[in-house]
Amino acid sequence: MAAHAHDGHLRSPDMPEVYPQFEDIDQQQETYIVGMWAFLVNEVMFFGPLFFIYGLYAWKHNAVFYVTSHHLDYKIGALNTTILLISSWMVAMAVHYHQKNQLKKVCNMLWGAAVCGTAFLAIKLIFEWAPKFDHGLFPTPGFQSRYLAYYGADTNPDVARLFFSMYFAITGLHALHVLIGVLIFVWLIRLIKKRPDVITDYVPTEMVGLYWHFVDLVWIFLFPLFYLMPK
Amino acid sequence: MSEHEAATHGHADHGHADHGHGDHGHHVIPQAKLLQTFFILMALMIATVVAARLPYEGGIKGIPSAIAWLVLLGIAFWKAGLVVQIFMGVKYSTKLTKLYAYGGFVWVTLLGVTLFDYATRQLEPVQGWEPVAESALPR
Amino acid sequence: MSSTVIEQAVEREEPAAPQKNYLNADHTIKSWLLTGDHKRIAVLYLISVTFFFFLGGIAAAFIRAELTSPMGTLLNSETYNKMFSAHGIIMIFFFLIAAIPAVLGNFLIPLMIGARDLAFPRLNLASWYVFMLGGLLFIIALILGGVDAGWTFYTPLSSLYSQTQITLALVGLFLAGFSSIMTGVNFIATIHKMRAPGMTWFRMPLYVWSHYATSIIAILGTPVVAITLLLVALERGLRIGIFSPELGGDPVLFQHMFWFYSHPAVYIMLLPGMGVISEIMSCFSRRPVFGYKFVAFSSMAIAGLGFLVWGHHMYVSSQSVFQGIIFSLISFLVAVPSAIKVFNWSLTMWKGSVVFSTPMIYALGFLGLFTIGGLTGLYLSAIGTDIHLTGTYFIVAHFHYVMVGGTVMAFLGGLHFWWPKMFGRMYSEFWGRISAIVVFVGFNFTFFPQFILGYLGMPRRYHYYYIAPEWQVYNVLSTAGSTVLGIGFLMPVFYLLKSLKSGPIAGPNPWGATGLEWEAAASPPVTLNFDGIPKVVGPVYNYDAIEDSESFRREQMEKVTK
Ligand SMILES: [Cu+2]
Repeated sequence: MAAHAHDGHLRSPDMPEVYPQFEDIDQQQETYIVGMWAFLVNEVMFFGPLFFIYGLYAWKHNAVFYVTSHHLDYKIGALNTTILLISSWMVAMAVHYHQKNQLKKVCNMLWGAAVCGTAFLAIKLIFEWAPKFDHGLFPTPGFQSRYLAYYGADTNPDVARLFFSMYFAITGLHALHVLIGVLIFVWLIRLIKKRPDVITDYVPTEMVGLYWHFVDLVWIFLFPLFYLMPK
Repeated sequence: MSEHEAATHGHADHGHADHGHGDHGHHVIPQAKLLQTFFILMALMIATVVAARLPYEGGIKGIPSAIAWLVLLGIAFWKAGLVVQIFMGVKYSTKLTKLYAYGGFVWVTLLGVTLFDYATRQLEPVQGWEPVAESALPR
Repeated sequence: MSSTVIEQAVEREEPAAPQKNYLNADHTIKSWLLTGDHKRIAVLYLISVTFFFFLGGIAAAFIRAELTSPMGTLLNSETYNKMFSAHGIIMIFFFLIAAIPAVLGNFLIPLMIGARDLAFPRLNLASWYVFMLGGLLFIIALILGGVDAGWTFYTPLSSLYSQTQITLALVGLFLAGFSSIMTGVNFIATIHKMRAPGMTWFRMPLYVWSHYATSIIAILGTPVVAITLLLVALERGLRIGIFSPELGGDPVLFQHMFWFYSHPAVYIMLLPGMGVISEIMSCFSRRPVFGYKFVAFSSMAIAGLGFLVWGHHMYVSSQSVFQGIIFSLISFLVAVPSAIKVFNWSLTMWKGSVVFSTPMIYALGFLGLFTIGGLTGLYLSAIGTDIHLTGTYFIVAHFHYVMVGGTVMAFLGGLHFWWPKMFGRMYSEFWGRISAIVVFVGFNFTFFPQFILGYLGMPRRYHYYYIAPEWQVYNVLSTAGSTVLGIGFLMPVFYLLKSLKSGPIAGPNPWGATGLEWEAAASPPVTLNFDGIPKVVGPVYNYDAIEDSESFRREQMEKVTK
């Protein structure tokens, strides 16, 4: 199989590799998908408490959270939602092409998704986090006075601090997942191009895709909860 | 894990029985379907932004934002459902995958039991569970 | 003798040389550190958790030594706090949670279901490295001064006030949690997808059922505590406020999130032990486990219900009284599946030919101690009595009866039961029985007095009690017992290690037990476990079909009386 590694253009081996612990390719592929979903269940339970804590505080301090949440720019949020949706579609297409064994197109789609992920991070960093850091809205000691200095006494700054704590915790953890996703895309593209002996079927792409869709899912809930909060 | 599920997913007889598409037993989701899903998701995204800016009159049971919340979360769940079903392919997958895919989302709602604590903290353990006066013990 | 149960299927690969097995397949250090073999990873885990067990034991020794005097003369308050924190954290996160699943589970699940390995061997190895990295970080935290917030890390002590190495310790625990998630994912995929032909769900040994339930808890619960501890670390590092009232947060919310995992974590520790007991009880009673399906489903019921009772740790935390009542009722319910297991094990022995071998003595110890631990749990799930007993030594005694009397007894029993399978050698049965009895006696002397102390009102986590010097007699009794217990725990180290060199060769099935790991695999097994994948045609625990079970019993009795 290693012979395929240097013949210039992309093609996968005729038969996917079956690892020694499995009986056949069907069993192997299904096992990987089940394992990936078990991991995603764990990811759901990982983000779940964050959303829950946010929801609880938003309920307890509804009025303040409403005022504070409108300091976020929903247009940037919508732009990032669009970018993530596009990337999600591209990843789904990558899986589609990999199932049809069109590896060139798989790599193009994965590149597209990686670019989208990077764009998401750039927008997040440059247009959202950086200005907030500049205005001192990162919830470190002294936040309250900085908040009052920047926005005036439009609401209770103690609770506003809670809002920004949750905002940075959730978006930060989500951005970390996006970053990991982008790195995995690049790594997967390299493997597909250079190591046809490692990537012998579509399952690795499918697993990366499932992970990326999950990252998208988190944002789908994050967007209305933080940017579009109703009174 | 029901007995039925056990019977269909052992490695004695895994694979082709539940889904007979293609040579390798996996379902290739058509490009048109993926593109269509993407456009629906975009439309829902725009809808959610618009919906958040509509004026909502009244509300439910004294919570003025209740309708808005229902609309926003409803759209979010709709979008999430599309991503899970189509992009993640759960719609076309085995029962086992469906179980894990939905099981996590169901289980995470258990955290909500905690809300019950916050909703009933002011109730005193007396007959009738009367709420205590504002000035009573700190909560 | 067991051809009725298992037939060898057609071989898929060329058979390995007969005397080759997973231990001597390759001797280099590299072959151990880069192995994908679940059996070798189990051995790596065994060495690691044994190390952590004795490390935690040393901390316990300091605690017991300190409490012999009502004045608290040996350690100062701060050091004492760090001691019990180190003891709790090491024992729970680095021993109990990993011990049975990562050692015995790793070794046995593929063997029991007839697979060549776990589904994801590299993930398995990675889980060990992550575990060791977490352990290393925690040990570094200890060296840099330790942690004083207890194993529960309650806020705001842990987030704002403590000046100790909490952040580092939290990162270590986060990694240990990750390792347990990796193991859980691996077990779930393996049990669902890798069973041998004919191995249906209801032909699986109950051990595998209990590990399935454990893995479900691990993937549903562990991430919750992981994110919670991460938030505490962020709160310490950046002073963002989520759980600290000074920063606008709610400390009780931390307790909710923490116990959402940490009550189910009790079952992560206990359920695998219950699986071990099912195997041992059945083998040494020479009977199938009574009520197989009840025991199997009670594991799943415990896993499910275990998620709905966390509030019983928070009755005095300003949690709503109304909710406390609901949590109390559901906590009582958990006793039902646990009792089903205890009754079924008892009925398994009934009219069986019970052989009092080392594993069986440990298992019987488990049965008694777990029953006491479980029943005293009912005192604590009732709100009224809990208000008197919470935060006292009654709690300490209760969870040690469950954790040590349950999990550690089961771990030792399982280790003795499968030792011949793991290493191909028999240990000294004489010393084995002595150690099992010493552990049982020492354990009761250590922890029974603590029930009385707790009832009398001695608070946990205090290192002096000069206000009530009459408690000294119980404390001295407890410390004396813990010495015996410590000796009991040390004994297996010597005779088990000795057996590796000079123990008699065990043969594939020294106990005459059922199950693929005994009937279809060598001792020690070859690297790919079986010569070809076995085909299962009958139920598990088919002891009635083993004709010579009577002669086996006589043989064992002769050994005892000799
Ligand atoms: Cu509990």
